[in-house]
Amino acid sequence: MVYRAPKWIVFVVGIIALIWVVPIIGIVATSFQTPDSIARGWWHFSQNQFTLNAWRKVWTDYPLANSLWVSTKVTLIATVLTMVTAPAAAYAFHYLKFPLRRTTLIIIINAFVLPQQVVIIPLFRLWREMGMLDNIWAVIIPYVGLSYAWSVFLVKSFLEDFPKDLIEAARIDGCGPISTFTRVVLPNLLSPIFACGILQFLWCWNSLLLPMLFLRNDVTLTVLLARISGTYDPNVDQQAVAAIVTAIVPLLVFLIFQRQFAVGNRVSSGGKE
Amino acid sequence: MPQSMAAFALLTPVVIFFGLSVIYPLFETIRISFWQIRGLGKPTFIGIANYQRLFTDPTFLGTLWTTLIFTIGVTVISVAIGWFLAMLCSFAPKQTSIFRLMIFATFGISEAVAGYIWIGIFRPGESGLLNGVLIALGLGDWSQAWLGSAHSALMALIVAASWSSVGLPLLLSFAAVQTIPRTVLEAAQMDGAKPLAVVWYIMMPLSTAGARVAIFINLLSALRAFDIIFVLTNGGPARATETVGFFMYRESMTQFNLGYGAAATIVLLVAVLVVAIPAIAQRTKGAH
Repeated sequence: MVYRAPKWIVFVVGIIALIWVVPIIGIVATSFQTPDSIARGWWHFSQNQFTLNAWRKVWTDYPLANSLWVSTKVTLIATVLTMVTAPAAAYAFHYLKFPLRRTTLIIIINAFVLPQQVVIIPLFRLWREMGMLDNIWAVIIPYVGLSYAWSVFLVKSFLEDFPKDLIEAARIDGCGPISTFTRVVLPNLLSPIFACGILQFLWCWNSLLLPMLFLRNDVTLTVLLARISGTYDPNVDQQAVAAIVTAIVPLLVFLIFQRQFAVGNRVSSGGKE
Repeated sequence: MPQSMAAFALLTPVVIFFGLSVIYPLFETIRISFWQIRGLGKPTFIGIANYQRLFTDPTFLGTLWTTLIFTIGVTVISVAIGWFLAMLCSFAPKQTSIFRLMIFATFGISEAVAGYIWIGIFRPGESGLLNGVLIALGLGDWSQAWLGSAHSALMALIVAASWSSVGLPLLLSFAAVQTIPRTVLEAAQMDGAKPLAVVWYIMMPLSTAGARVAIFINLLSALRAFDIIFVLTNGGPARATETVGFFMYRESMTQFNLGYGAAATIVLLVAVLVVAIPAIAQRTKGAH
């Protein structure tokens, strides 16, 4: 931009950014302090005592390692399933002719408005009847099913700019619809598929409502955190560790792949608005 | 292989997952909302009685009001801050990139963690950060148990939810401001416009597209909010921070009034649909 920025602008933005991260600094500081220090206020850095106690004890006092494993398992399976099935559907909707094509497409891409609350009563009853409560598929299935509204939409938007000539050339060379997809289209879809994967990873890892209701014994990190923060549990230092462990994975994924975000964002909203 | 066979093969997984987790629950929730179902007891068909009860239930009517305040509060605050920051950042994109990242990072933090973090800030006594700041400023008389009274708990909830919703408006508005032609801004500079005048007269009117998308997305997610309410206030004190999306959970999953909870869910769905009509129309028109 042409403007030479006045110093105060950078200063004001910096102050606001600082205010934004203070709550995060707060839980990090809390996790390294003794209960007495936390009761005094974690920000009294000069008087407070620091300790690794909470980080050592939390693994035995709470099933944190188990929850880390459950979150990882559920999130990875749901993410891979979305990354595999959504592009196939987007391709079929975009290039193939079949009955009810447009109707199905309209229903799927408009499902983004559906609140998760609509899903829980019927699925709760269904899983209970099928004995699926506490089975990781009880959350994976809705994670994947609910993702199509935006994942199919995102990949299909990307296909709008895909060169028709390539599809035509593949057809002339004798490729059927499926091999055109796997050999010609799929290798060129990596960036929207990746964007879908990142969004799906963040969304699944961060979900609370579905795993809270459908999992009982082996719960995800978000559910564990909600449980231990709600019970007037005195171990504030250990809760803070659990919160950090819950937040760190999506935060790292987010920071590492933030450039991919721009791709997904441009495809899903840019040309459409 | 004919095209429709190939399409069938490619779409089968999507149809199964989508049918099981969207289509079936949608129709089943509508059906259940006309029945009285208590836990595992025998269901009775009661027509629209659940809906009649909802709109005479003072708790539910209070919930509607809370939903309205929460949704509008969070959307206005988060979009206003995000949009304004985006415009300020546009004066110095390079120097502010780290600051943008710091604020945008909250996008990657779950509502559950955000709720937990803000419990610490609103904690009663001097170990809560907000009270600590007030004491440091000599305003110790104002310190209180923020999550303990109905009015301040709702405000606290709105602040916490806004904190975690600023990232997207910032990102989308910033991208929109970047598309403004340089010549327009150069002309303004030549005419001696001050930064805030540039913000008000040029950047804001020319970046409404980005802000509109952000308003829509944040409106929808605030309307459907559950996680942050559950962790931060659990709907309390005395159900003062229950939104419709939380009310349905409480009725169906803790009181086991499944039919009544389903009716509340349908009310939420209708509210969401009303907000989303323009987006639905646009997506439907664009589907070809």
